[in-house]
Amino acid sequence: MILAVESSCDESALALLAPDRGIVLERVSSQVELHRPHGGVVPDIASREHLAALPLLLREFAPRLGEVSTIAVTRGPGLPPCLSLGLAFARALAASTGARLVGVNHLRAHVHSPFIALHAENPAGFAAARRALLPHLGLVVSGGNTLLVRLGEDLGMTVVARTVDDAAGEALDKGAKLLGMAYPGGALVERAAQGGDATRFAFPRGIPERADLRMSFSGLKTALRYRLEGMDDAAVAAAMPDLCAGYQEAVIAQLEAKFRSALESGAYRSAGLSGGVANNRLLRARLAGVCARRDLPLRVAEPMHCGDNAGMVAFAALAEPGLPEGEAAAAEPSLGVETA
Amino acid sequence: MEDDRLSRWRRGFTTRSAAETERAGEELAGLLPEGATLLLGGDLGAGKTTLVRGLARGLGVEGDITSPTFALLAVHRGSRRQLLHVDAYRLAKPADLDGLLLDELARPPSNTVIEWPERVAGREPPGAWRLTIAAGTGDERRLQLAP
Repeated sequence: MILAVESSCDESALALLAPDRGIVLERVSSQVELHRPHGGVVPDIASREHLAALPLLLREFAPRLGEVSTIAVTRGPGLPPCLSLGLAFARALAASTGARLVGVNHLRAHVHSPFIALHAENPAGFAAARRALLPHLGLVVSGGNTLLVRLGEDLGMTVVARTVDDAAGEALDKGAKLLGMAYPGGALVERAAQGGDATRFAFPRGIPERADLRMSFSGLKTALRYRLEGMDDAAVAAAMPDLCAGYQEAVIAQLEAKFRSALESGAYRSAGLSGGVANNRLLRARLAGVCARRDLPLRVAEPMHCGDNAGMVAFAALAEPGLPEGEAAAAEPSLGVETA
Repeated sequence: MEDDRLSRWRRGFTTRSAAETERAGEELAGLLPEGATLLLGGDLGAGKTTLVRGLARGLGVEGDITSPTFALLAVHRGSRRQLLHVDAYRLAKPADLDGLLLDELARPPSNTVIEWPERVAGREPPGAWRLTIAAGTGDERRLQLAP
């Protein structure tokens, strides 16, 4: 069994994966009621939150530690103190159980995450089933990353496109803030956009040239800001669904356009969508449309594996050969997607 | 000459495009003393990341300067100096800045930029420079360095 530890940013998480079955147990700290006077966990960047949460999460996993032969831990990218704490925790588990320790790249785990369900459907046939889907184009889109990655037949990863400034999820979160919603409010924008007219307000499409695969989202929030400056509060409230629909459309249209251009410029046998923004229904539908027209399978990560989670870290340890082991599994805060 | 440029920053001036704001950031890189922290204030969409992109170029950093809002911190190697780019927007309280271990990550010569400095009030490094960027009409931005 593989036991995975994730603590790269806000979430502390553990997961247990049986190579012949799939993920058998996974927990994220924000879902767990910690028995404190003031209730559950408050997500905090401070590593002391991970220090408090990881041992509590471990209680549920403890009875099965004897079956664990591999401890997988996120080694980057992420916040230095949070990564160090996760690694120390994982090393202690490896030392006490005798399991080997492997370091996992959080971004690469997101790229692999659309294949988690493929493995669970038929663990014995996974290698062959995946081979039939490679090369694969993965869109990883979250509050911190917006990346198009090519997963090759040798399981090597190459960046095909990325944002040059803000992440798509960040554009949605900050747009929500400008519209007076809570932060982060990307999901609130999606909700408020329902029934809105996406054509009433035009927002810029980043870098519209088709041949240029770079993405840009920072001009979008500036455009929204200008738009709101010309409206009073009542007008903003009345136009809220249309504003949200137009703003969300600008984010999604850009992702869709670059995704389509990337598919045109390479020979792919499948595409994937993962990361926190992958839960956006309009984005899912639009990418599904692009893939359907090309008769290309689109694999979308399950909602529980879109945000930060340990299930994808455990899966990456199974799905990816050549991970750094033991002492070589060192924290690397600025780790890029092209390095294991 | 350098004093002239610095006094212009102290008096404050207006840029008329994002490209001009970026060039201003590049000039600032030549004025900021080694080891200094720049506290960069300004609203959402004011152009803080644009200014930091110019500053990074001026420090010899290649590659994209993306927003570190979610990650809180980005460390860039530059041919002149290292740049630690902090976005305090998501910090719950000023003391959380200590948790980023900036002193341990610094590889001098280096500079640190902290966006949303009001989120770390009381924890600013001593001697930090304070720059405000404010939106004017259209693409105009007013830049002023506190005395």
